Amino acid sequence: MEIDMERNNNRKRPASTDLPLQWSQWQLLDSILPTGGFAHSSGLEAAIQTRVITGPEDLHTFVVHVLENTGSLLLPFVYTASKSPSADTLCKLDRMLDAMLTNEVGRKASVAQGSALMRVAASVFSEIPLLKTMRDNFLSSGAVSFHHAPIFGLVCGLLGFESETSQRAFMFITLRDVISAATRLNIVGPLGAAALQHQIAHDAEAITEKWSNRGVEEACQTVPLLDTVQGCHGYLFSRLFCS
Amino acid sequence: METGKIVIEKVRGKSTVTKSFSKYPLKFIIPRKVGPSRVDAVWIYALTYGGGIVSGDDISCKLEIGAGCTAVLTTQASTKVYKSLGSKCSEQSLEAEIGSNSMLVLIPDPVTCFSTARYFQKQVFRVRSDSNLVLVDWITSGRHESGEKWDFTHYKSTNNIFLESDQPLFLDTVLLEQGSIVPLAERMQDYQVIAMVVLLGPMLRHIQGQVQEDVKRMMAKQLQGSPARWDRQMKSNTRDFANKPSLIASCSAFGQKVHLIEAFSMFLSLNSQKRL
Repeated sequence: MEIDMERNNNRKRPASTDLPLQWSQWQLLDSILPTGGFAHSSGLEAAIQTRVITGPEDLHTFVVHVLENTGSLLLPFVYTASKSPSADTLCKLDRMLDAMLTNEVGRKASVAQGSALMRVAASVFSEIPLLKTMRDNFLSSGAVSFHHAPIFGLVCGLLGFESETSQRAFMFITLRDVISAATRLNIVGPLGAAALQHQIAHDAEAITEKWSNRGVEEACQTVPLLDTVQGCHGYLFSRLFCS
Repeated sequence: METGKIVIEKVRGKSTVTKSFSKYPLKFIIPRKVGPSRVDAVWIYALTYGGGIVSGDDISCKLEIGAGCTAVLTTQASTKVYKSLGSKCSEQSLEAEIGSNSMLVLIPDPVTCFSTARYFQKQVFRVRSDSNLVLVDWITSGRHESGEKWDFTHYKSTNNIFLESDQPLFLDTVLLEQGSIVPLAERMQDYQVIAMVVLLGPMLRHIQGQVQEDVKRMMAKQLQGSPARWDRQMKSNTRDFANKPSLIASCSAFGQKVHLIEAFSMFLSLNSQKRL
């Protein structure tokens, strides 16, 4: 009788034993986490003002292109940092990404978001004192720019996420933020934006799978037009976003 | 084994080629009188037999530019990359060491990949804190007249600049591959040429400033201002503003200012109407 009850209870429990981890995961992906991602449009604002985007279909295409370029350029950094979440690896990745983000607008956006994420993570995930220690060391040495992708991978790695999850999560927040920017730029309404995000999820997954689990020596730009367009952000007269 | 090597050193106060070697399919032509005689610069033309790069070709080249020298490396015509046979990739690589107070100007004609071509190009530059580099790397969409627009299979171009051998200053790799998720032609959005220009070094400071200003001014004229709703937009705008600009460019500074390296990369996309 007791044995049967135990078996029943076990069957009701989900396969994953790390349920607290899911709460941390969801919190990291929730837009309410104060990482300042909403100040950046991933070049969307510049794309609109240069008429690279002139309608809703262009928006769909643009978002998919952003995801493709993010996958090819940044996922290797998220992957490597999450597999090896150490200060040494972080420094090397940060320095390399700083040289790879040749578009000034994108580079500054990456630093702003990475710095904010590190600050929030060190404060919020206090069960991992290493986060705060690393942050303090990086700040005092001045050797780290705090680029977003490696920091994101580092935080995920230290929290104990699997690297596949970490990479998918990074793609998710990229999608989340550009869709949000589209709403705030008033080119799509909130409901339309949510529908668009869901439609794109299929392509987002395919792109994630394609560019996952690669070394940083494979990092590359696959949509160079985006880089040029985002670089124009500094020429806009009136702007809502930082990048 | 290298396909080619050139060493340039100061001899009797002039930039001089002290070593030049090339073997098939690469050939160097180093004409004596190119620029005005008061300008100290060596001009090198790199050619390939047959006028293009054939499937499976592997061309590697080393360039050493000694202190205080100036060298220009260019091509005689656009680099045509012929179709790939049996999925073979054609490769070209360049390793350049630019000495103190020297300048390398790398201004080739653009690369044109034919339909189904596969091409990989890697250029690595090792510079000192007072070296100078002008780098142009550009590619057209293909043989336009034959209707080839972004019809090649695989194009990858890497340009890496290292300071004092090992410090990464500029790492750029562009990969254009036919893809199923995001088709290549769609990624290029009617643009037919993409180019990157890097200006690095103290001797180029005034040009860097000028280019930044010019690009900013040119692009500012193209920009819309805050977007109106799309349906109203099409009626109220002039014809010029309705379409994408024929040329999009942006200019960024890179490198740490503390090393006094001011460098700019500029990305150009031109559509077919604009003459090169």
